Amino acid sequence: MADPARIKTENSLEKEDFTNEDDPKTEQTENVPESSADDTKEPSTQDHPKDLNAEGEATAADDEEEGTSGQPSSKRLKVEPEKKKEKRHKVDEDEIQKMQVLVSSFSEEQLNRYEMYRRSAFPKAAIKRLIQSITGSSVSQNVVIAMSGISKVFVGEIVEEALDVCEKWGDTPPLQPKHLREAVRRLKSRDQIPNTKCKHILFH
Amino acid sequence: MADEEEEAGFEEELDDGSGGMDSSGHGRRKRLFSKELRCMMYGFGDDQNPYTESVDILEDLVIEFITEMTHKAMSIGRQGRVQVEDIVFLIRKDPRKFARVKDLLTMNEELKRARKAFDEANYGS
Repeated sequence: MADPARIKTENSLEKEDFTNEDDPKTEQTENVPESSADDTKEPSTQDHPKDLNAEGEATAADDEEEGTSGQPSSKRLKVEPEKKKEKRHKVDEDEIQKMQVLVSSFSEEQLNRYEMYRRSAFPKAAIKRLIQSITGSSVSQNVVIAMSGISKVFVGEIVEEALDVCEKWGDTPPLQPKHLREAVRRLKSRDQIPNTKCKHILFH
Repeated sequence: MADEEEEAGFEEELDDGSGGMDSSGHGRRKRLFSKELRCMMYGFGDDQNPYTESVDILEDLVIEFITEMTHKAMSIGRQGRVQVEDIVFLIRKDPRKFARVKDLLTMNEELKRARKAFDEANYGS
């Protein structure tokens, strides 16, 4: 199972899938890049300019001006991605190269762990069933993808914190429930764990 | 060396299956994510054979997390439904999760486009 060659072919397989496209963005593989906050703002603002456009076209020239002043966000979206794509392209290339150098110098045990880290995932069917049992109605596939991704990050945060606690208390790795509970307590105090059950009343 | 841990884990599983009494109260449900969680814990730095109680605690935490997020998502945006935008909104303050969701959704779009282009190429020839 721990086949070092396989991890590299994962990357090359992704690249092969994209050979049909000319999109420079396809250099991006499954790496988890630390994308800047600007990157993430773009898709979320895309919905609004369309609304503003519709309003602007319906009425007089004044409103059209308002439409164009509301439009810069969509024009900006067209100009900025060009510059940002190049910058992101270089940053991603650097990062991909660094990752490849790093992974090529892993020991057998590290490769095993890295493979588990990348490949482990929650089963989509179970997550979908769980969400649907709570909502009572069906959910789209994207919701399931997003939710399983976030849950994995959530598990990662807890395990990392628990490993910190374990090390601090001078214990050794297989994590014990007390480490996990202390980790949860710390994360709760940092508001990283959602809790709608206890509503803390400030002044009463 | 792994034998002792496996024995302890095995006994704990027997207890868990029969009693189901858990401090968090979710113990009665069947374990949904045991296998995947073990791999995940190893990937994130734990031992290759994590304790079964730890895996149980994590599973309860994950189910509670998903439940909370779902309830919150149902209460904002379109009521009674869970949509991706709601999840993204709820996550906005947490940089790691936010970045991860954005990456996943972008990758999904790219893969869909690639598959569609591939299928069309096949269909054409």
